[in-house]
Amino acid sequence: MIEFWSVPFLRHILIAGVLVAIGLSPLSVYVVLRRIVFSGAAVAEVASAAVALAVLFQIAPFPLALLLTVITFLALSRLADTTRLPPETLVGMIYAGGSAASVLLIVKAPRGEADILNILFGNILTVEPAVLWGMAMVFGLVFILQYVAAKEFLISAYDPDMGRTLGIKVGLWNMIFYGTLGLAVAVAIRAVGALMTFTMLVAPGASALCLTERLTRTFKIALAMGIVASLSGVLLSYQYDLPTGSTIVAILVGFFVISFVIGQIRKPA
Amino acid sequence: MPAELLTARNLTVGYDRIPVLHEVNFSIERGDFLGVMGPNGSGKTTLLKTFLGLLKPLSGSIEHVSTGEHLLFGYVPQRESLDSHFPLTALEVTLMGRFGRIGALRPPSARDRQIAMASLAQTHMEEFAGRPYRALSGGQKQRVLISRALAAEAEILLLDEPTNGMDMNSERAIMELLSELQRDKQATIVFVTHLLSTIERYAHRVAIITSGGELLVGDKAQLMTPDVLAKAYQVR
Repeated sequence: MIEFWSVPFLRHILIAGVLVAIGLSPLSVYVVLRRIVFSGAAVAEVASAAVALAVLFQIAPFPLALLLTVITFLALSRLADTTRLPPETLVGMIYAGGSAASVLLIVKAPRGEADILNILFGNILTVEPAVLWGMAMVFGLVFILQYVAAKEFLISAYDPDMGRTLGIKVGLWNMIFYGTLGLAVAVAIRAVGALMTFTMLVAPGASALCLTERLTRTFKIALAMGIVASLSGVLLSYQYDLPTGSTIVAILVGFFVISFVIGQIRKPA
Repeated sequence: MPAELLTARNLTVGYDRIPVLHEVNFSIERGDFLGVMGPNGSGKTTLLKTFLGLLKPLSGSIEHVSTGEHLLFGYVPQRESLDSHFPLTALEVTLMGRFGRIGALRPPSARDRQIAMASLAQTHMEEFAGRPYRALSGGQKQRVLISRALAAEAEILLLDEPTNGMDMNSERAIMELLSELQRDKQATIVFVTHLLSTIERYAHRVAIITSGGELLVGDKAQLMTPDVLAKAYQVR
């Protein structure tokens, strides 16, 4: 481990993995409870279209991807409350629209598809110190907000009508939740790629929810699982020469399978 | 202190600009035990949500006479409307009633927990405080939701179909509990139900929504008559 830590690029991978876990694992609890699991996948497509658009017009891709990601999540939060359609319908249409737009824009872009995918879908192995600082700031903010605004996020998700009658600004807190979610997803995709981001946004929360009946404990277990999966994934991939992101994803899925089985065994008849 | 807590003046309520109740005038008084009834789709829940401020009146006004400003409601929604996937204990659900009294971005204090526990005690649920809410029976869940409304230290308790889907014993236990709160704590209670027998047995005053969109408010003896009920439900 000490030997591992002394190599800068390996140290960066380890820090990136832990930062992503700190930022996304607590969010994953609400992503599952709010039934917006596929929003992460849909928003990744929007980010992809934004990068293709930026490349086409030769402007900086990341700020545009970030902006569109946050706007998409905010729009989802507003429309989910007002439309007569089930929210997953909107998510499906955003996924389809984002996918189609990115393909159409990529074929017209002056740079190749592989180049664009490299810009968008970052790789944990190539994460740079400057990106790590950005991740630390964004994920630190997301983590602290989850802690200090715990009661506002809880009532806005669980019983928004009750929240409104108590004078809590449910609409504002939903916007803040979706805004931070968008920000975290955009930064994570850029740093570690879409697959690891999506899995980290679902698996820790889903696994923890199988194991406990206490909300506070759910957040703690989700966070612990995210961090353990990141650390063990990086170390195992180094040890056995495996792709790091996929190893972390496989461990997270493994955690979920074990948690699901334990949850089913414990479930009262 | 005025006896009236809330007064509706020429109030028209509805969804999507379509009125379901027209030009309603009535008051809720301190210590009231008011049952709101009417046929399915007549606008009972719409009226309740308008009182709560969750829906805007289409016209007219609701005055909060006692405070002149915002009246604090203890809202008890239909328990099926709450998501059973949330891993919450009975105490955690009850504690939500305190959220409006705690400043933004501040956690509940030891005093808030004490009040939540006392509210659970009032509904005889203190021994279930640490149990998962989703594992409770329908009647126990309803008691926890009433505890949550009590924890808000609200001026009016508003309950939407509090005994919906319950067996006879559970229904009676919940309504006895509400009667006890009204009698012993002078709580002001408004409940919506489609069950005539519940209104007949427990409510002190009645608000009947007719299928023609009228609201008749008065004493039970005055309104629970075959003629009025036939008009409300359009039966012979």
